[in-house]
Amino acid sequence: MSSWVIAMMLGVSVFLGSIAVVALMWAIKKGQFDDEEKFLNAVKFDTEEDLNDAANLERKKEKLRKKEYRPE
Amino acid sequence: MSDKIACTHCHLEFSKDVMIKDGEHYFCCNGCQGVFHLLSDEGLDSFYDKLGDNKLAPPSEQFEDASNFDSPAFYERFVSINKEGFAEVSLIIEGIHCAACVWLNEKALTNMDGVVATNINYTNNKAKIVWDDDIVKLSQIIEMIRAIGYDAYPYDASLQEVKADKERKEYYLRIAVAVFATMNMMTIMVAQYAGYFTGITPEIKHILNIGEWVLSTPVLFYSGWPFIRGTYYGIKTKTVNMDTLVATGAFLTYIYSIYITLTRSGEAYFDSVTMIITFVLVGKFLEVLSKKSVADTLDVMNRHLPTDVNVVEDEKIVTKNVNDVKISDIVLITSGERVAIDGEIIEGSGNFDESSLTGESEPVYKTIGENIVSGTVSIDADVKYKATKDFAHSTMSNIVSLLENAMNNKPRIQQLANRISEYFSSTILALAFLTFVGWLLYSSNFEQAFMISISVIVIACPCALALATPVATLVGLSIASKRGILFKEAAQLETMAGTDVLVLDKTGTITEGKPEVVNAKEYKEFDKSLLYSLILHSKHPIARSVAEYIFDDTLACLELESLQNIPSQGISAMYDSKMLAGGNAKLMQAIGIDIQSSSENSEFYFAYGGELLAKYELFDMPRKDAKEAIENIKRLGITVVMLTGDHERSAKKVAELVGIKNFEYEMTPEGKAAYIEKLHSEGKKVVMAGDGINDILALANSDIGIAMGNGSDIAIEVSDVVLLNDTFSSLYDSFKISKKTFTMIKENLALSFVYNAITIPLAMAGFIIPLIAALSMSASSLLVVGNSMRIKFGYKD
Repeated sequence: MSSWVIAMMLGVSVFLGSIAVVALMWAIKKGQFDDEEKFLNAVKFDTEEDLNDAANLERKKEKLRKKEYRPE
Repeated sequence: MSDKIACTHCHLEFSKDVMIKDGEHYFCCNGCQGVFHLLSDEGLDSFYDKLGDNKLAPPSEQFEDASNFDSPAFYERFVSINKEGFAEVSLIIEGIHCAACVWLNEKALTNMDGVVATNINYTNNKAKIVWDDDIVKLSQIIEMIRAIGYDAYPYDASLQEVKADKERKEYYLRIAVAVFATMNMMTIMVAQYAGYFTGITPEIKHILNIGEWVLSTPVLFYSGWPFIRGTYYGIKTKTVNMDTLVATGAFLTYIYSIYITLTRSGEAYFDSVTMIITFVLVGKFLEVLSKKSVADTLDVMNRHLPTDVNVVEDEKIVTKNVNDVKISDIVLITSGERVAIDGEIIEGSGNFDESSLTGESEPVYKTIGENIVSGTVSIDADVKYKATKDFAHSTMSNIVSLLENAMNNKPRIQQLANRISEYFSSTILALAFLTFVGWLLYSSNFEQAFMISISVIVIACPCALALATPVATLVGLSIASKRGILFKEAAQLETMAGTDVLVLDKTGTITEGKPEVVNAKEYKEFDKSLLYSLILHSKHPIARSVAEYIFDDTLACLELESLQNIPSQGISAMYDSKMLAGGNAKLMQAIGIDIQSSSENSEFYFAYGGELLAKYELFDMPRKDAKEAIENIKRLGITVVMLTGDHERSAKKVAELVGIKNFEYEMTPEGKAAYIEKLHSEGKKVVMAGDGINDILALANSDIGIAMGNGSDIAIEVSDVVLLNDTFSSLYDSFKISKKTFTMIKENLALSFVYNAITIPLAMAGFIIPLIAALSMSASSLLVVGNSMRIKFGYKD
């Protein structure tokens, strides 16, 4: 087995792994694991309705923000 | 008649005939009914599916006016405007029992117009709410929370809390990188070792080394940053610590390994770099994780003082902020209110609950001319009083500021490992330097001398030393938590092991905290329903205990007439046109029954129609396991002292019952704290166990504060250890576990020294081959971990 195969396998696996680590770090930074209890319990209430609520909230915020930026 | 049914909203069970029937639903109170209908109307009734079998507290109906929350002063203190121009507030929400409650609150608030973000933390019930102040006001938000059956009050999300959170997050990130790299490193090392024993081509070995190099770089410079930073500050302040050794060791090993990799000579030690940093980082993280913030405690404490009082001004009642009340203002207190300002009663009388100052649950009767103290609660008194102090100098404010002081200056005993590491690190660095000079003179080969001196630092791996404490305390903590003992900070196990004096509070700590009937004497057969119906109308703890004592299913509730609560005497009523009376000896004398009171216990008499029927003696008995546990604790060489706010007679009796020789009675909260300070000044390490608000100052002042699990919220917040199962034997256990853990820590340190004593001379002599280096790395850490597991012996569960 030529050594470049080893090198490539090593490189690819470390690269893929580091993508996962970066994703984890992003999630930690965003505060997704701040509340461990909620993090575990949220699964139970994660319905379509809750998703809609979250989307509505974003929209509402966007609308209000635009209002804020109106010229004075 | 006694079939119980659960309330549709709060799920608490009551007998059917006292419930409010509403269609097919039953409610225990109007509050629950109101919330239920509100949730149905808003389409939030799926809350009940999510709630499952969890029980809620019925919603309270006594709220102060929410419009206070809109005052400019309030906004200035608690509400901030964020970057996008939205208002932001931090609230603590009360009444959250389960995940469904969090869901309901978030949902209800999210549905409100103008609210743009809600985030409720399930663990500590703290919420952050963001809203547009032009559309909705804070008072409306709080009214919404109250309408769905919860209560909210704001707190100052101080910098401290934010900082602690940030530090924790940072550690998570660093550990994520370190663990990822270490795990990958291990797979590479399998290939390396296999190659070492069975042969490997230099080509492949080179590739593996480069892979290790890539993996170890972020670990050293990102995950290892706290150590590098620590070393930098260490150099600046000219101190050597564990950080110095870890950072120099890892850094030099890294440089050495790069050199080996590039020159393709010998073995690289990139794995040691990642392992050292990962292990020590995890150890450090364990300590950061359990640090509690002072801010949390003070938030809860401030909650215990009202922010406004009613003041009589020009014969009108005005609501004033407590800070605006001046000395000699006339303040109004009605039943159920908490006193905010010290003063002297000028009109009215009634009972006050002074448990926050004395720890005693028995109400104290106060009348004109007597002093009332802030922090106490009026049970049934409607009085006018003259302020004798302003708010900032009132008793409770004093206690809060003393508490703040004590918690910020909590004595910190440096951990054994940290003290040792200072010497250890400087010794190793000195030895490495000597080796370098020695080899340079002996062989005059710079490269060889440099390599050997680095191997001294590498081999003196601080892993075992750094892991000695965290691993032992972690095992200790897990055993403790299985037995219902919660240590809030890992380092406290070590501190507790060196205790000289244990200070105990009496009421609620040694005793159950509630009087129990110890002796009942019935002079004549009588219908117990009479007594039961009478004392059901009294809130006095003695009456409550008697009611509990005589209760059985056959008792009926009779209709009584002209009920009368006689302050500090008892209760009387008419039944069948004869008088019922229940109370102390004074009441009996007042209705013409001659009684000689001689007992050292509290007494409760019952008379019907002028005839004495029964006498109950009550006493707040020590917990059943108290005597044995206190004897065991004494056997550990710890002096046990009891401090109580109670009077001498009952203090003496309890002390005798549990075998305590030293006790002090009639202690104020400040007195208890001063007593502990005195012990400190004698050089003693003091552990304080208490349960009430009157103990918090002492708890905060002691080296370790222990709270009983059913103690007041603040006592639990302030203390370092919580006995969740509320027994005295777990107090003894906590001492035993901490001593055992400390012994383990010392053994671990000794082990790592023996290790170094063997390997360092070898390294200095230049005999270190890669195999020994690798073995020594893992074996020393394994030994320490394995040894720590021995703490578990003797603890089956």
